[in-house]
Amino acid sequence: SPRFLALCPTSISSSTGSGSDPVQMGEEQCARSALREGFLRALVAMTNKPVQFDMYERVKVHATFGSSDIDVLNFQVSDLHTPIGVQKEALLRCQDVILYSFDL
Amino acid sequence: MVEWRQLKPLEWCKYVNKKVKVTAQEKHQYDGWVFTVDPVSASIVLVTVQEKGGTATVRVVTGHAVLEVEVLQEGSEETACWLRDVFTPPGGRILSP
Repeated sequence: SPRFLALCPTSISSSTGSGSDPVQMGEEQCARSALREGFLRALVAMTNKPVQFDMYERVKVHATFGSSDIDVLNFQVSDLHTPIGVQKEALLRCQDVILYSFDL
Repeated sequence: MVEWRQLKPLEWCKYVNKKVKVTAQEKHQYDGWVFTVDPVSASIVLVTVQEKGGTATVRVVTGHAVLEVEVLQEGSEETACWLRDVFTPPGGRILSP
């Protein structure tokens, strides 16, 4: 999307160009779809679970994960426990997050 | 190492089902078995189990924070099956093309 291109211009890489081998392009697309499917399954597994977000400056916050946008730029969370209180609903910018973790 | 986010999907695939150590920004280090790498954000999904039969912990390192990924141990077919099962919903099945 234009928003994604504006914010993260280089994170989708692909072998583009007129000299690209169509067989290799097919393999790359297969790999991309398999990897993406796995990631979406992981996001589904995370939905409605308590998740810890490790952010920059060693800040750790807890929240119940809701959903992510398609570009993985923002997370929608509920009951965000911050050092200054609990925020009922919130959006976290993914660029502020280093790691997020949860138990299955 | 070429920047992690610039790698191609086939290069990310080489890390799937292997045990790796990820070095992230602010000197964080995480290890675990790679389930997948999101081709959009380059985030790595790591799975670890504390003890056999215990609950699995899933950690996702965001792609922009990854500095280095080092392979610690090769995966096997058994590992691949285990990782697939972790995220397959009960009752789900794979349909052949």
